[in-house]
Amino acid sequence: MTKIEAVIQNSKLDAVKTALHEVGVEGMTVIEVRGHGQQKGHTEVYRGREYSVDLIPKTKLEMVLADAMVEKAVQAILGAARTGKIGDGKIFLSRVDEAIRIRNDERGEGAL
Amino acid sequence: MMAASSLISELRTSLSGESARIQREFEVSGDGRAAVAQRTRLVEGVLKRLWQDIVSSGGPSLGSSFEGLANFALVATGGFGRGWLFPYSDIDLLFLFADRDAEQAFKDPVRRFSQELWDLKLKLSPASRTLAECDRYDPNNTEFTISLLDCRYLAGDRELFRRLHDKVIPKLVMRESKALVQGLAEVTRERHAKHGMTLYHLEPNLKEVPGGLRDYNVACWLALISAIDKLHDWPDGSSLRAPVRRQLEAALDFLMSARCFLHFRHGRDDNTLSWEAQDAAAARKIGAADAGELSAADWMRIYFGHARAVQRTVAQLLEEIPEAWSALYRQVQSWRSRLTTADFSVVDGLIFLQQPASLQDPEVLLRLFHFMAHHGLKLSATTEYRIEQALPALAAMPPRGAELWLYLQETLLQPYAADALRAMHSLRLLTLLLPELKLIDSLVVRDFYHRFTVDEHSFLAIESLHRLKQSQSEWDKRYGELLNELEDPELLYLALLLHDTGKGVPGGNHVEASLEIANRAMDRLDVDPKERAEVLFLIASHLELSSALRRDIFDHATVAAFADKMGTPERLKMLCLLTYADIKAVNPEALTPWKAENVFQLYIAAENYLNRSADQRVHADVNDEKLARLRSLAPVTGSKFKGFLEGFPQRYLLMHTAEEVMRHMQMADGLGTDPVQVELKRGRHWYDLTLVTNDRPFLFATLAGVLAAWGMNIVKANAFSNAAGTVVDTIHFTDRFRTLELNLSEWARFKNSVVTVLLGEADLEKMLRDRQRSEKGTIAKVKVETKIEFDDSSSATTTLVQVIAQDRPRLLHRIASCLSDEECNIEIALIDTEGQMAIDTFYLTSSGKKLTAEHCKQVERALVEELRGE
Repeated sequence: MTKIEAVIQNSKLDAVKTALHEVGVEGMTVIEVRGHGQQKGHTEVYRGREYSVDLIPKTKLEMVLADAMVEKAVQAILGAARTGKIGDGKIFLSRVDEAIRIRNDERGEGAL
Repeated sequence: MMAASSLISELRTSLSGESARIQREFEVSGDGRAAVAQRTRLVEGVLKRLWQDIVSSGGPSLGSSFEGLANFALVATGGFGRGWLFPYSDIDLLFLFADRDAEQAFKDPVRRFSQELWDLKLKLSPASRTLAECDRYDPNNTEFTISLLDCRYLAGDRELFRRLHDKVIPKLVMRESKALVQGLAEVTRERHAKHGMTLYHLEPNLKEVPGGLRDYNVACWLALISAIDKLHDWPDGSSLRAPVRRQLEAALDFLMSARCFLHFRHGRDDNTLSWEAQDAAAARKIGAADAGELSAADWMRIYFGHARAVQRTVAQLLEEIPEAWSALYRQVQSWRSRLTTADFSVVDGLIFLQQPASLQDPEVLLRLFHFMAHHGLKLSATTEYRIEQALPALAAMPPRGAELWLYLQETLLQPYAADALRAMHSLRLLTLLLPELKLIDSLVVRDFYHRFTVDEHSFLAIESLHRLKQSQSEWDKRYGELLNELEDPELLYLALLLHDTGKGVPGGNHVEASLEIANRAMDRLDVDPKERAEVLFLIASHLELSSALRRDIFDHATVAAFADKMGTPERLKMLCLLTYADIKAVNPEALTPWKAENVFQLYIAAENYLNRSADQRVHADVNDEKLARLRSLAPVTGSKFKGFLEGFPQRYLLMHTAEEVMRHMQMADGLGTDPVQVELKRGRHWYDLTLVTNDRPFLFATLAGVLAAWGMNIVKANAFSNAAGTVVDTIHFTDRFRTLELNLSEWARFKNSVVTVLLGEADLEKMLRDRQRSEKGTIAKVKVETKIEFDDSSSATTTLVQVIAQDRPRLLHRIASCLSDEECNIEIALIDTEGQMAIDTFYLTSSGKKLTAEHCKQVERALVEELRGE
């Protein structure tokens, strides 16, 4: 099993969710986050005051998938979230040892 | 030793059979009161049999310790004591001992007794206390003392129970009445706070929410404590006053039936009225057997009606028991009594009428709610009763028109407007005045995010804006600043009140339905066309900002498209606040700091865009909704119309109604005979001066100078010119010395002064010197640092300069004169004042072109010099 963490632009959430549903990903966790990578943010001047936007609001998706699904999901995210500009976000993959469904103690991929 | 297994088996069979019978009977009758009474008797029977078997008859193992039976009693408390045992409720029991020795002696039988009950799957909520312990009030466990108020003898030492009931409890209540009521009020408020202080939940917990069954009990307990305190004994019968009791009977029947229904449906003590449960309850007409066919929404309206009655009673009782309040609170209350007016008196934070008959005058009624909204007071029970009595007469001829709108807007602007609206709504006055709101009365719209009914959501949205003023949170403070800057905040509040009314219309788009309903409501209020347009804009756009957030808000095109839809900074500001309030009223967690930041970022970006794109010009032959409306108003002046509008900035059309543009055209027509056309009006917040004339050097500076010489404070201003060189300047100012307000003759002199100065027939410098001599310098409360910023990239044809400076008399005249001295032509001026900060944006050209970099530096130096040292 693999955990996918994808940080994407807020505006791409609906498109990414749809793309993931289309390839069969049913569950995910969506988190409101702030941060920056290469896109360092900018400063907006309003009424003579500077508003520094160094941590940009982004959306983070998390999901744990059976290994067979991972590449399809990654491609779905890439296809839906990419604009080609700085700030499109990142995808991180990591191994997951176990998954347990709390309701019935089911384990492994069946619990996903 | 356990009770004989044959007895347990018999009790188990009896419990199960009888429970099933009670459930069957409830399913036929729907009578919750009968079901809880039967359940109480059933469980009581089981307890007594077990008591007899384990405790009274001793049993072999009890031996000599059983002789202490005389000092031990079994007492029903809480809901069980009241005889209200719901199908899956806990059984509140008190093991009452005369002293510690008795407690020790009965330790084993009590343990066995409890264990057998658990084995019978009866959930106990037991307490073991000596008589002396019952006599002590523990402020950290108010619930226990309160549960004693419903105590009922079950078995054991009857004399011991009598001592508890007849002596200990009345004395305890008399001694601790103040602390008890205070404790009860505290736990009640905490419980209400957990449920957002409102009964209008989409999926309410029938027992715990405000207006739920627990509140009914609170009402009874408060009345009982008060009665025992007064009589020094238990009262005969219910301590609730007869009218209150009668009023609540129907509510109690309904709530009991609904709770029984939920317990049977869920098979446990789960009191949540989920959507599925609402469907099923409506289909079975639970608590409403006589009603016709009911939808889930209809059934919930009946529920909310009953809950409202319970909540009002509790609120009144909590307010009416003055002993409850701390010394500090009493001080505040007595301070409040000084708020008494000719119409209303204020006692202990409650509003009473000075003349009971005064409510026959609808104005007094409207003033009453304004008074409530202003001071954050509550209505006394008698005042509420008088209002209810006055409503039928009012219904025959309800107030309407501009007068009603005037009262309503003044009420909406007060800090406790939402509370006043809730009180008006609860008394059915709000829907009498604005029947359009009936559509959303207690309306449950099933939505994954919303937690409250549509009416409560609207009140909460209004409340969340008013609360901005007291909030300490960073985001709330920023939004609070925007709220303070609004020109007509009452329009925003009206939009919030009406924005979701369309949800009461089945099917279709709720925004469109809301617009139609809002139009009807504003017909009733006779809202003037300009204000109406603003309210309709806000309702039509109330989802726009949220939609824009789903796009890339750092993308210029997204910002530009969104800002263009807003048109003016004022509309943008109002929509930003409306969106903030709308999200915040969805549920307490809906407006995360992340969302608040995103909304504000988009606001800033769009505001900056609007201020930097005001010079996009109008082309009169382009098809656009506003131009079409203007053409329809001026069919015979086609060519003049084109000539007048051609070349004005788009902002000019956005900031003025079609009727105002027509008036400007008429004024421009008159320039041949009177080359300076001036119009002066008194608006709600300030005076509006409109000047139409032909452009000339120093025009704007001179106009600002005349106003300064008259001591007027310019709050906002716009200066626009068309391709033919006709200038339309609008200046909004306050009259610092009340010259115009107190001397009607000065209006003509003031207008004449503008004309003569602009025609060069009067000496402006002399006027300014005279004014300066008569004015003392004022000390600024807040220091604003001067900032001058040039922007050469936002406009293709002009250079923007924004000057932020400490607001002070003559400021605009000095800035504009300085710009003119530096050979800058002011193409557009957007003047704004926020508190002590003046924010002036000018679109400049020099000899018809943008300013060069060197020229910008020179202008900046001149401005810095001009504004230095003040």
